[in-house]
Amino acid sequence: MSSIILEARDIRYHYPRGMEAIRGISFHIRRGEKIAIVGPNGAGKSTLLLLFNGMIRPDEGMMLFDNEPLRYDKASLRTLRKRVGFVLQNPDRQIIAPTVFQDVAFGPVNLGYSESEVKHAVEGALRYVGLEGFERRPPHQLSGGEKKRVAIAGVLSMDPDVLIIDEPTSGLDPSGSEDIMELLDELNSQGKTIIISTHDIELAYPWADRAILLLKGKILQEDVPDVAFGSPDCVRKAHLSMPTLLELYFELQKRGFFLPERKPRTVLDMLNVIDRAFRNRPCYTEPGSIMVFNVDSGGFKTFESWLQEHPDLPVGAMGTRAKQLARDHQIHMDFTYGVIDKCILKALLGENSAIVTTESMVRRVSERVEAFGKENDLFIDVSFFDASTT
Amino acid sequence: MYEEFLEDIAQTNRLREVNTYLKLIAGTGAILLCLLSSSYLPPLFIALVLSGAILFLARIDAKTYGELFLVPFTFAVMSVAVIILLSGGGEVYWSWSPLPWLSLSLTSESINEGFFVFCRVIGGMSALIFIALTTPMTDLFVVMRQCRVPEVVLDLAMMIYRSIFMIMDQLVQIYQAQVMRLGYGSFRESIQSFSTLCGAVFIGSWSAGEDLIHAMDARCYEGKFAVLGETRPIEMLPLMTVALFLGLSSLVVFLARDLTLLGGGP
Repeated sequence: MSSIILEARDIRYHYPRGMEAIRGISFHIRRGEKIAIVGPNGAGKSTLLLLFNGMIRPDEGMMLFDNEPLRYDKASLRTLRKRVGFVLQNPDRQIIAPTVFQDVAFGPVNLGYSESEVKHAVEGALRYVGLEGFERRPPHQLSGGEKKRVAIAGVLSMDPDVLIIDEPTSGLDPSGSEDIMELLDELNSQGKTIIISTHDIELAYPWADRAILLLKGKILQEDVPDVAFGSPDCVRKAHLSMPTLLELYFELQKRGFFLPERKPRTVLDMLNVIDRAFRNRPCYTEPGSIMVFNVDSGGFKTFESWLQEHPDLPVGAMGTRAKQLARDHQIHMDFTYGVIDKCILKALLGENSAIVTTESMVRRVSERVEAFGKENDLFIDVSFFDASTT
Repeated sequence: MYEEFLEDIAQTNRLREVNTYLKLIAGTGAILLCLLSSSYLPPLFIALVLSGAILFLARIDAKTYGELFLVPFTFAVMSVAVIILLSGGGEVYWSWSPLPWLSLSLTSESINEGFFVFCRVIGGMSALIFIALTTPMTDLFVVMRQCRVPEVVLDLAMMIYRSIFMIMDQLVQIYQAQVMRLGYGSFRESIQSFSTLCGAVFIGSWSAGEDLIHAMDARCYEGKFAVLGETRPIEMLPLMTVALFLGLSSLVVFLARDLTLLGGGP
């Protein structure tokens, strides 16, 4: 496993004149992990997050970043905060400047970047969150989801190693939430460690590598999501509910169905479980194929005309920039989140589909499809769209 | 939130992309010409042209513009009425002395003077509204920066700008919550509700201020704030239009220097 980037050793913290918010917590987070800190209101989630980038200092115990204890002088804190980016729960509280550009530029300017570097960083961050062309807009005109993206871009522009996001989906509509979670996935695939706090267990369950259940300032459970959320006792104690898929799995198990060891994390997994439970082959038909178009390879025109030749083909777009481009080219998108799974579902029905995505995500498609194929002993063809040959 | 700010209109007007300086020069130039003019005609001309620009170039909704104009308009009507009744000179059309030390009269001079002042107000207001509706505050910050406004002042101005909308939002939410629970039923209650509204918003903005410091700290704040974009380049067509407008207006100012509403030299 990769190296440890953040570590807490028996930390305790209480607010001045208040009750103890963190009561002896130890854990570690590895580089490149996706961590969900889950707990009811007032469990100390936000306080714990604030300890990560030195906004508050533990009364006892020690926080370590990159195997070095945190130091709380001004210069060290600055370095730390550059590397550990923090996105507040309420984007209105985080967005300081009168325009989107200025706000995203805030961090880089204070880090002393030159003007062209600032511009470069801001452009990159805005492209990443899909807000190109919003530079001169004032924040109060943006929607909740857009504000959240600006807040994330403001932190991304400093290029942190760790991204801490307090309640990333609070106040967003379901598709907005899925978009944000996918953005976090995308960032994670670029090597960033991501820590979120949430009480939306349905969202955290398929997303996280590891979940930390927090209750009354203590860690109740810390494990992979299907174990952390899989114990009815823990979940009840933490005032949470079990993810629907997991609950369904256990209910099927209780009824004596033979189920695979791996717990289902997505609808696709669940379908598989059910298929197996009824001892059917996962599909009767020859599986369909998936065409992947990499927007960074160029040839959007050719792809468009190819799409016109296949009018009924379902198309999914993955990654913020790919979605943006598809929208710009007026390509009708059937799926915008959970794209790979939805295309596999189509393939299982014997239908073909296409995925529009960016360079960095192309590999993920073939990996996911291959892994699925291996697990279920079938072959789904993934081909890559090549503008020069088609 | 359903309050619409002038700022929001300005952010989306069709002249947004025109260079800020050009718009400011057109606006302030028009105000100066209104003040320089010695006749009622040039301010009216300016008001007409600028209203046309606001309605047809910036594509501001006529109703919005009318409503905006209504406040200064009624104010102007009231003040001009006083001027006309109190000042005198020239041919007397009507007069009345209700009290020994007070006489009200309508004379040619007073009507001339009153109408002149009225036109000036209309001209100046249209120029001011033109700037307000076509140039959002965010663009003005850039100009202020280029004009060497001290950075502290500018930083403060920008933070205030950002806070206004947040506090306004809060205000509306709390107010609505109060209204929904019948907070403004009687006079007594209104006073009570209003005071709690003020208190709540004060505390809210206080904590927002603290959060602001945290948010800035979390992003490595080191006293730098004012990065700004550039102004749009000056394009030929708008430049010519502004020059033509100011040139024509100056010409009108010059030609109409002796013109008065009812005749008779000033």
